[in-house]
Amino acid sequence: MAFAPLDPVLHNQLRLAIVSLLVSVEQADFNHLLERTGATRGNLSVQISKLKEAGYIQVTKGLRDNYPNTVCRLTPEGLHAFEGYVKAIKDYLHR
Amino acid sequence: MDTPMTPEQSLRLIESMMSQAKRSFSRMSFYFLLWGGLLTLAMVATQVWTGVEPGTRYGAPWGVAGLVGGALSMWYGARQSRQEAVLNPMDRIINWLWASFVIALLLVLFTTLLEGDDPVIPITLMTGIPTFLTGQIMRFRPLVLGGVLFWAAGVVMQLVPDAGARTIVYCAAMVLGYIVPGILLMRKENGVRPA
Repeated sequence: MAFAPLDPVLHNQLRLAIVSLLVSVEQADFNHLLERTGATRGNLSVQISKLKEAGYIQVTKGLRDNYPNTVCRLTPEGLHAFEGYVKAIKDYLHR
Repeated sequence: MDTPMTPEQSLRLIESMMSQAKRSFSRMSFYFLLWGGLLTLAMVATQVWTGVEPGTRYGAPWGVAGLVGGALSMWYGARQSRQEAVLNPMDRIINWLWASFVIALLLVLFTTLLEGDDPVIPITLMTGIPTFLTGQIMRFRPLVLGGVLFWAAGVVMQLVPDAGARTIVYCAAMVLGYIVPGILLMRKENGVRPA
């Protein structure tokens, strides 16, 4: 039986890791995501940009203690896409 | 991290990340250590001063402890919120839990003092609620046990008529219910594994 196509934005390990973390918290900064995902700065930065372009996360750049600080927060569209992704995976596994 | 994933791998990754996020609580050991220390000192000071002039009740140590603790807690909370790398909904729930406890505590304090009663026992019993729930939310057993200890201490203090014995029970509850869990929590926050 054919596997329903998964959201290509989320079907990537790092992007899925970022969104899974953001689903459980209200917001997280770049360093926290870096620490939890174990990704490189460059790769994390690229994947955050892709999620932002897809409208799945909201990115706010600011300063914390005079240092640049990037804070990420899941958007309602991102949450909806994540729920759809999880449902698609579960459907596949339960077939 | 661009290798293809199977649905099983995706699900495992989601579960792993979500479970990590659930463990991301703000640093709270400071509050338990601060209030545990201040309230123990306030109780000892009250007992010492009452011994100097028997029959007189001194509220000054509690007032000083409340003001110092309140000011330091606000300072630390403001500093923490500026530095927090992650904002967890559970942190918000815990903050509101303690805020509602402080409101109830002030009301109990006001009404018991108005009646001329000693507020220490009802406040000790009440202290068990946020301590127990914080421990349950964080899945941190020393705080859960600390909450139970406050309830037990409140009951024992009610049964023990001697003021000196009540002081010992209260201080023991503070040390075992706040300070010891606070130290263990600080070790956990600092990434030190229990021995």
